[in-house]
Amino acid sequence: MEQLTRLFPSSDFTLLALILALPLLGAFANGLFGKRLGKQAVTLIALSALGLAFVASLTGFWMLATAQSAGSAAVEHGHEAVHHVAEAVRFKWTAYNWLELAGSGPGVSPRSLSLDVAFSLDALNATMSLIITGIGFLIHLYSSKYMEDDPSYYRFFAYLNLFIFSMLVLVLGDSLPILFVGWEGVGLCSYLLIGFWFHEDANAAAGKKAFITNRIGDFGLLVAMGLLAYYCGALDWAGINTNSHSLLQPVKIWPVGTDVPIAQALPDTWALAINTPRYVNAATLVGLSLFLGCAGKSAQLPLYVWLPDAMAGPTPVSALIHAATMVTAGVYLVCRLNGIFLLDPLTMFIVALIGALTALFAATIAFVQNDIKKVLAYSTVSQLGFMFLGVGVGAFVAGFFHVMTHAFFKACMFLGAGSVIHAMHARIHGTEQSQDMRNMGGMRKFMPVTFATFGVAWAAIVGFPLTSGFFSKDEILLKAKTSMVTGPVEVVSPNGRVAFDNFVWEPWMGTLLYSIGFCAAIMTAFYMTRLVLGTFFGEFKGWTIVPGWVDPHAAHAGHGHDDHGHDTHAQGHDSHSHADPHHHEEPGPDMQGPTPHESPWQMTLPLVILAFLAAFGGFLNAHPLHLIGLHLTPLENFLEPLFVEATQVVKTVPGSESFEVIGLCLAVLAFCGGAGAAYWMYVVKKGEPARKLAESFPKLHQLVYEKWRVDEFYQEYIIGNLDSLAQMCVWVDKNLVDGILARLSAFLVALSGTVLRQFQTGRLQAYAAVLVLGMGAVGCYVIRPQSSLRIDENHATGKYALQAAPGFGYSYRWDVDGTEGWDADFGDKAEAQFALKADEARTVRVEVQNALGQSSSEEITLVRPRPDLSSGPAGAAPIQATVARGADGKLRGVPGHDPAKLREALEKGAH
Amino acid sequence: MSAGILLFVVCSLMCVGGALITILARNPIRGAMGLLGTIIGIAGLFLRLNAQFLAAMQILVYAGAVVILFVFVIMLLGPSAGISEGQGARSRFSRLFSGAALAVFGAFALVFIGRGARHDFTVITPAHGSVEAVGGRLFNEGLVPFELATALLIVAVIGALAVARSKPNAKKKVELENPTLRMFHGPLHPRDAERPLSGDTLSERVQKESV
Amino acid sequence: MLDLVIENYVLLAGVIFTIGCIGFLIRRNILVQLMSIELMLNSVNLALVAFNRQHTGDMNGQAFAFFIIAVAAAEVAVGLAIVLQFYRLRGTVNSDEAASLRH
Repeated sequence: MEQLTRLFPSSDFTLLALILALPLLGAFANGLFGKRLGKQAVTLIALSALGLAFVASLTGFWMLATAQSAGSAAVEHGHEAVHHVAEAVRFKWTAYNWLELAGSGPGVSPRSLSLDVAFSLDALNATMSLIITGIGFLIHLYSSKYMEDDPSYYRFFAYLNLFIFSMLVLVLGDSLPILFVGWEGVGLCSYLLIGFWFHEDANAAAGKKAFITNRIGDFGLLVAMGLLAYYCGALDWAGINTNSHSLLQPVKIWPVGTDVPIAQALPDTWALAINTPRYVNAATLVGLSLFLGCAGKSAQLPLYVWLPDAMAGPTPVSALIHAATMVTAGVYLVCRLNGIFLLDPLTMFIVALIGALTALFAATIAFVQNDIKKVLAYSTVSQLGFMFLGVGVGAFVAGFFHVMTHAFFKACMFLGAGSVIHAMHARIHGTEQSQDMRNMGGMRKFMPVTFATFGVAWAAIVGFPLTSGFFSKDEILLKAKTSMVTGPVEVVSPNGRVAFDNFVWEPWMGTLLYSIGFCAAIMTAFYMTRLVLGTFFGEFKGWTIVPGWVDPHAAHAGHGHDDHGHDTHAQGHDSHSHADPHHHEEPGPDMQGPTPHESPWQMTLPLVILAFLAAFGGFLNAHPLHLIGLHLTPLENFLEPLFVEATQVVKTVPGSESFEVIGLCLAVLAFCGGAGAAYWMYVVKKGEPARKLAESFPKLHQLVYEKWRVDEFYQEYIIGNLDSLAQMCVWVDKNLVDGILARLSAFLVALSGTVLRQFQTGRLQAYAAVLVLGMGAVGCYVIRPQSSLRIDENHATGKYALQAAPGFGYSYRWDVDGTEGWDADFGDKAEAQFALKADEARTVRVEVQNALGQSSSEEITLVRPRPDLSSGPAGAAPIQATVARGADGKLRGVPGHDPAKLREALEKGAH
Repeated sequence: MSAGILLFVVCSLMCVGGALITILARNPIRGAMGLLGTIIGIAGLFLRLNAQFLAAMQILVYAGAVVILFVFVIMLLGPSAGISEGQGARSRFSRLFSGAALAVFGAFALVFIGRGARHDFTVITPAHGSVEAVGGRLFNEGLVPFELATALLIVAVIGALAVARSKPNAKKKVELENPTLRMFHGPLHPRDAERPLSGDTLSERVQKESV
Repeated sequence: MLDLVIENYVLLAGVIFTIGCIGFLIRRNILVQLMSIELMLNSVNLALVAFNRQHTGDMNGQAFAFFIIAVAAAEVAVGLAIVLQFYRLRGTVNSDEAASLRH
């Protein structure tokens, strides 16, 4: 330990470089040379990179935990406080001092904003990086078998490693810009992996959809970055936390500028209403912009649409990126910047409300989906909603805990689903068919390990008591009911001129959030039970989909097998399971083709580990156990220093202290109710009620089955409008830009070309003659006489000498004697002398003529200043008061002259 | 008339005479001899101007290489080296016009320079124009241009070889399909299939071209 | 009059330059045109050396003349190669035949 601390001091924690470099190296090696290296080498590189990164993360985590516990022990020793939160420990590594910006803004001035490529490790991202590398490693192991037969094996692992690298940059980055680099990196990898089988249009389109939807969120994040740089003057975590108080000030958002121009045309009352300035809290702006980014990345309303489509990627990708790690980046960001969100109760409420609504909304869609991965995808959206509900009510630890448990059980479920799909490929090779629950059933007989692990994960997600999901979800719901976020009563601008009342969190809001979350929990239990029942129980219906198969019972059963709706489900039971429950275990003479079989150990081992974590991970933060006197909350103790502010701002709703036990009972009730209803509906009644419900509300069923037609809504109203705009732009481009700018200018060029073409005679001499003409023109300019004068002044003696520039064939005439008219005719004399008395001014002229008779002249006025003995020691240079009037008539004054003398000199010169 | 003046007079006459022969002779070999005369005359003037090194260079490079090269080429071309001049009214007009214009221009220059004051040469040190002086200049301040000049000569030699050797009939096969179009010719998005952006779409053009 | 006077040399250079220029313009034989170019280059050399004789501070004029000699040698080598190639292509050295680029 001491050696480690010496090797990696907390201010220069280069272990982070190792954690980051390993996956990057893996991606680099696999991406560039993977094709030639072969599958085994690719697997070795990818797995060892991830494994070593996991070990390094573990080391970092251990060092951090040791340092933090040492710190808190010291604090407790020093003070008598019963419960004192230790200082948050942060290990930092600055890779590169990128740039330093100077600027202005409200607050400290002058300000500078340093953007460093820096990474840091604290409790939050140490836990995150453990999840990323740990689960990442398991999923890499799983993929080595799952993707075995794919021709682009190396490409897959290169992308996966690159994703892990980007995700680590995202969580380990010490500032918002670095986080943003990782944020975009995971977006890119997500895009690449969703469209991994890009030869099918639908997959490529799904990748594009994910990427573009995320762009909308990224816009919010960029805006938030700009606002933070402006208001806080910092973008690194420490700087943001220090200066976050400067966000509590009103910002005018309307009208832009001074007033709305068209308002004058309206009646006065309207104009007044329009021009009334509207203010919002800067913290609200920043918080909502950040949350827009989080909603994009973490698939919240209204930007969730990309996540279900993202299931087009390989299943391990869905498990790693679209369930366990990347989609939780939004929750991570909210936890990371909790100081900003806690400034404003309104933002917090919006976060919580959006989370709760997403949880409910996605759960309704998951109710009726038949694609196993689609159900899991909507379930993921729903669970992400729970996480935001948690962080939105200020229960950051609970929200983050759900991130962790969700990573365990949802990764386990996705991998289990992958295992099932893998097994289904023994019978079917169409992607849609092999993922359709209606083709499954009875899988538990073929794949017991997958079934067992899936069952454990099911128990966790539906909230079976004492599993991980039970603890985390219960905690979130409890906090939603009992917490309220408080803020300052009034927001006042620094000069005190603008003030408005702050949003106040009412007690009924908690009840509302709790009710929505509770409904979502019941529904989760229902659809998850439906999923497990449909997949693993009942009769395997995959037999029917091998070509050439004839149903031996079809003759007396008397109805066919159409693959639509729940009736197939029910009929399947009718026709097979009653007659002979164990009939289909082995393919008999009437059953052709291979049977589904259990997956190899590389796929089941991760399942087992994840199932173990899903079952017992809850004890990392088992709050309800304190009812029986057991304080088992290591995660909360570990993370608490980061959320100190939450303990001050988040208050308990008065009168809800006793809710804890009721909430616990209600949670168990939700699980029992949801799961029991599903059992009753699909096992006891063989799906009859579901069919009846669907039949009695066909429109509603269709609507929900088609995912509330949100995609169509977006297509029609948002994309459609954008398309119209694009069409308009096309029109402008075609007619105005092309027509006027391009065509007209092309016409002009062609016209001038027609004229100028006549000169292109192709005769060398003609070109040379033009060249000679040009030379002659230049020569005419060059031989113009130049009449520049060089002046030798001696103010002390009063002797002045003038020298005209020499030239070939020049002759000169001068006028230096102060009389009218030239002194002599043109001659060779290139210089002239004269003397002046003190204070006397004289205008002298020279005219230069060259051999061709061209001439030019120059005229200057010289003034001899009075010797000024008082200004300095004898011999000091007198102040020059020379003014010159050039041949062009312009005046040239010499600096330091006396204005009065200058005027006098000019008057004399004018004569 | 001192020897120096005699040298100047003889050399200038040689220069002007040689130049006139160069441009007026029908037979190019005579023109080359006229050029040789001019060059030798200028070398003599260089001597008079205390540029001994350059005079030697002039003889070596011009008389020894350039004129010889001209003579070689003339011999290589044989009788076709001389052509009959002056067919075609337009060409004759442009030539006569430009010649006359130049003659006027030259006369102006003569007047211009000849009318003004005279400037005697300044007194010089014996080192002026010696190999040491010019070499010192060339290899100190002028080293980079000097090296560039060597590079230029190498390039000129290679270029002359390449130009003179290449066969005029060896034409490269031109690839018809435009690589730029090929690069951007991809499948349209299904949504955009019915409404391509412009009437003359890329794919149509590619089709045309490939046809 | 015929003494060492810079004007005489500049005058002589001007005369040779003008003759070279006229030669380039009135002759259609590419060989003669090339020789005319040589005449012009030589006249410039002469002027440079003469000015160098007048301004004796350094050897810049002669150094420039030296470089002009080098460039002229290169120019003649390439130019004559082009003339040869042109002759192979057209069977003549008449510069009026070099009109492929006319409109």
